[in-house]
Amino acid sequence: MWRVLHLVAIAALIGSAAYVYRIKYQTILESEEIVKLKHQINRTRDEIGVLHAEYEHLARPDRIQELADKLIGMQPLALNQIARPDEIPDKNVQADELGRKLESLGLGLSASPANGAAGASPSVR
Amino acid sequence: MTEAKPQKPTLRQRLANGAAAMLSTRLDKGVGRVRQLALILGLAYLALAGKLVHLGLSHDPPPTLKAAADQAAAGSRPDLLDRNGAILATDVKTMSVFAEPRNIIDKDEAVELITAVLPDVDAHELRDRMNSKKGFIWIKRQITSKEQNEIYHLGLPGIGFWPENKRIYPNGPLGAHVLGFVDKDNIGIAGMEKYLDKQGLTDPHVPGFALDPAALTPVRLSLDLKATHALRDELVQGLDKYKAKAAAGAIIDVNTGEIIALESLPDYDPNDPPDMTKPENKAKINRVNVGTYEMGSTFKALTISMALDSGKVTLGSHIDARDSLRSGRFTIHDFHATHRVLTVPEVFTHSSNIGTARMALMVGVPGHQAFLRKMGQLDRLETELPENAKPQIPKHWGELNTMTIAFGQGLNVAPLQALMGVAALVNGGHLMKPTFLVRDEAAAMAVSEQVVSPQTSESMRYLMRSNATHGSAGFANVEGYYVGGKTGTAQKIVGRRYSNDKVFTTFMAMTPADKPKFLYLVMYDQPEAAPGDYGYHTAAYNAGRVTGALIRRVEPLEGHAPLLNPPAHPFPLIARLGYGADADKVGKE
Repeated sequence: MWRVLHLVAIAALIGSAAYVYRIKYQTILESEEIVKLKHQINRTRDEIGVLHAEYEHLARPDRIQELADKLIGMQPLALNQIARPDEIPDKNVQADELGRKLESLGLGLSASPANGAAGASPSVR
Repeated sequence: MTEAKPQKPTLRQRLANGAAAMLSTRLDKGVGRVRQLALILGLAYLALAGKLVHLGLSHDPPPTLKAAADQAAAGSRPDLLDRNGAILATDVKTMSVFAEPRNIIDKDEAVELITAVLPDVDAHELRDRMNSKKGFIWIKRQITSKEQNEIYHLGLPGIGFWPENKRIYPNGPLGAHVLGFVDKDNIGIAGMEKYLDKQGLTDPHVPGFALDPAALTPVRLSLDLKATHALRDELVQGLDKYKAKAAAGAIIDVNTGEIIALESLPDYDPNDPPDMTKPENKAKINRVNVGTYEMGSTFKALTISMALDSGKVTLGSHIDARDSLRSGRFTIHDFHATHRVLTVPEVFTHSSNIGTARMALMVGVPGHQAFLRKMGQLDRLETELPENAKPQIPKHWGELNTMTIAFGQGLNVAPLQALMGVAALVNGGHLMKPTFLVRDEAAAMAVSEQVVSPQTSESMRYLMRSNATHGSAGFANVEGYYVGGKTGTAQKIVGRRYSNDKVFTTFMAMTPADKPKFLYLVMYDQPEAAPGDYGYHTAAYNAGRVTGALIRRVEPLEGHAPLLNPPAHPFPLIARLGYGADADKVGKE
């Protein structure tokens, strides 16, 4: 009876010691992992900062202006290129009487705008 | 267990019994002893186990060099952003290489190898420092990763790397005079960088003041990066075209006092800051804040608004400008002489010196001084920027001074100061200190002071608008933005006389004149006439033209659509009095 109890106690002692050691080493492992991850986070954060700075450097206005001048070929907006919504003619209203008459006779052309009226030409400066 | 005793033994007896019991072994007491012992040992083991668990759980990594190095030598600073969130200044981690001379075995060899990798390090100087008694010396701050790699592979003992923060300005010289710059230790030396340090918004690594770098919140400035670029670009083009010595410009939001853009040329790249104590770098000062100048005719706006606000003059008054004005030995002439009686709008559009001098005399010297003081023109203007200047006021301010100051001679102010004054004249009369941080209208109004009546303010807008259509500000009258403006051409003092061919030109323009949002300032120092300008080098031809080009660029950038038709009732207050129904026709009235 006593012997069995002793054996159980010894086994429990060894078991619990092993368990404690296992937990301890796991904790060390995990905390090392945490430190590693923290460093990685810091490094990544620094890299993000560098990339942000690099992006701003590449997107700096004078560089964009140079590229736009070279590659896009756009012009500054001119006042005569702007129209208010109420200045745009309705889709179906034919402005000229002759055209309406021709249409009523069944000779109408398709309602496409005349050549040259499509785009506003920029003013020359 | 314990024996029953007929009477309580004395302490002495008990001690004696105990000692006897320890010395002798009594079999009948054995079981109890063993149990006691087991209990005590059990408790001790429990305590040990508890301590073990405690030690196991509270595993603290010992502080390493890496952890210490994370708290780098150069402190971290918050990012500076423009009003739309673009980065103007940011910290980037770089490596610096250091030496611990005590741990270096062969110092000469180390110096030789290091200078082979870093050719810009002076070998002599490095050897001297290695041989000093110091435990820690910098070899080179902020090296590239390639250099770091090469030094690392030298495998020298006593040489190490230390991560540091380096301040980067990705936009180069854009807005340099507002941003300022930092030194090698990331301490602000000028501009908003210095302001940040003064406000305690940075982490300077002073013991006891350590801040988590991640906790530094970015600081948003009032600057608009794109508008600043447009301003600099136009100023640079003008500087070339008119062969001027220097140029400067600013854009202010008149309703909030925010500086949208500020440039002063020649400027510098804050990534590679100049040594401002050297004489050749003197020209790189911030002319808008630190320079003081005679603002010329732009000051007439202040004089006329003073006369209007005092009630001594109305828009319909007539001012005699037939003859030159004499005061003692001095005579005041008109640059564009008309030799007739002028109305108040004509005094403004013809930029009549005689007319404005007479108006200032109507108010008198004390009144003139009081008004200019109220407008903030006689005291040092202090903004967030640490750089500022005190206006140069005449020592004995007599009638003659009042007459000349009326048209902008004899009083030197910082251009930012004049800008603040004119902004107050056109925004409804609210004088507010310019700011380089974002501010909304309500906050600006809370710190503002009503300096002229809304009616006077509207009259000034009307006058500046009519000056754009019929006066000297025509070059800036950009279609669709209802611009109002005023030129100023001040003769520079050469020796002790006003020079006839050396001028300092300024131009101020607001958009739109009926309800101003932006006030533009452009200045040129000693511009020359461009080919085809018939020799004119007055403000309209240089500063005025540049302002026009600037308005054309900046207004769409800021999302202001051009108006197809001018506003129907631009000046309701003075229209009720019978003036300014149509500013565009004022010159013909």
